[in-house]
Amino acid sequence: MKCENDKKDLARWINNEMNETERAAFELHLAACPACRLELETDQQVWDRMGEMVTPEPSASLRPRFYAMLDTYKASEEPTRNAFADIRHMFRQFWSVQPGFRLAYSLVLVVAGLGLGYLINHTGTKDNKDRIASLSTQVNEMKEMMMLSLLENPSASERIRGVSYTSEIKQANPQVVDALLTTLNNDPNVNVRLMTLEALAPIAAKNPSVREGLVRSIVEQESPLVQSALADVMLKLQEKRSVQSFRKLLQQKDLNGQIRVKLEQTITELI
Amino acid sequence: MDQITDNALMIKVKNGDLDRMGLLFERHHRQLLGFLYHMTGQRELSEDLVQNVFYRMLKYRHTFRGDGEFRSWMYHVARNVIHDEGRGQKRTIRAQELEAHTERISGTDRADAGIQKRQELQSLRQALNELPEESREVLVLSRYQELKYAEIAGIMNLSEGAVKVRVHRALQQLKNHYLKLESNEM
Repeated sequence: MKCENDKKDLARWINNEMNETERAAFELHLAACPACRLELETDQQVWDRMGEMVTPEPSASLRPRFYAMLDTYKASEEPTRNAFADIRHMFRQFWSVQPGFRLAYSLVLVVAGLGLGYLINHTGTKDNKDRIASLSTQVNEMKEMMMLSLLENPSASERIRGVSYTSEIKQANPQVVDALLTTLNNDPNVNVRLMTLEALAPIAAKNPSVREGLVRSIVEQESPLVQSALADVMLKLQEKRSVQSFRKLLQQKDLNGQIRVKLEQTITELI
Repeated sequence: MDQITDNALMIKVKNGDLDRMGLLFERHHRQLLGFLYHMTGQRELSEDLVQNVFYRMLKYRHTFRGDGEFRSWMYHVARNVIHDEGRGQKRTIRAQELEAHTERISGTDRADAGIQKRQELQSLRQALNELPEESREVLVLSRYQELKYAEIAGIMNLSEGAVKVRVHRALQQLKNHYLKLESNEM
């Protein structure tokens, strides 16, 4: 007898992969087809015999071996983590080398002070005056360098310290001004930016290019605090060029409401 | 149900909480051992391979995406381990392993089983071991691991239809091979 049935159904039936209707149809066919019945019987026999093959129980050592492996694995990952921490530690140490730098700075100041005192006691000659001048420039340069390096420090309070040094520098050179303006525009910390602005304001009073830099900075600022402080500075400087920048700020939709009022007031007072 | 799922555990492992692998081991090592044992036919080897599978799951934990079942991923890793094992060293099933196996059968609750039965099972074990790997795999997964075709398809990257064909073919191969071995015994 020729059988049209799909032979794959035998394994599906044994594996319980059929749905209700499929199974009913298949079983109906089985009833009528001795060839399929015979084949299913032998398939089922092999299948059942497979079930008689025992799956071994895990040996007593399997579990302890696993946990030993897990521990070893964890330990093997540990050194890489430690190495990473070491690098970070070294990096941090690199930054904290700066107290040494500070010590050197104060030593230089002491020496410079002693030198100055010595020189003042022996004033009169032109030569000495020159020396005083050169020493004070050196001290100034020293302060500048300190300030510039502190501005790069990852700690916000160190950067604030750096900014505060500018008040001690008599004549701010372009490099220092540049560094301060960059800090004002880019520093992630609002307090540092505020301090920087405070340091720049007196310089701006004398220096037109600094004033220009401050005007340009207005649109860069996102913090309401800095925006408000800039408005104050501009008002003090009576800097009319800032009006345009403030108007640009006012166009921003997400501008703080209080700042909006303040800026509008500043503009009217400036015009 | 406040029991944490396999997937959630494995995600924790992936994020660095390696100790969570312990619970996954407790849940799955028996089943995994069964799979490896029926695939290789060697008890000691399969215990080694259990370690290998868990080691690899730790090492390649970042590849666990969590979009499928953890169990499927485990079988996936286990298949690769078996594959590499076969590639590294073409192990054949040693007679002593088979003997040890029948010893265990007679030694345990099947003490009453006669010599006849033991021989039959030995032939079946041999027939299974001599099947091509892809055939043995679908039979082990469906018979011993009791997985549905759909899940087997997921593990083997096949369509469900392809799994259906393979199971059918594998069962025919096993049956023919086994019957041949049995008739030789007589």
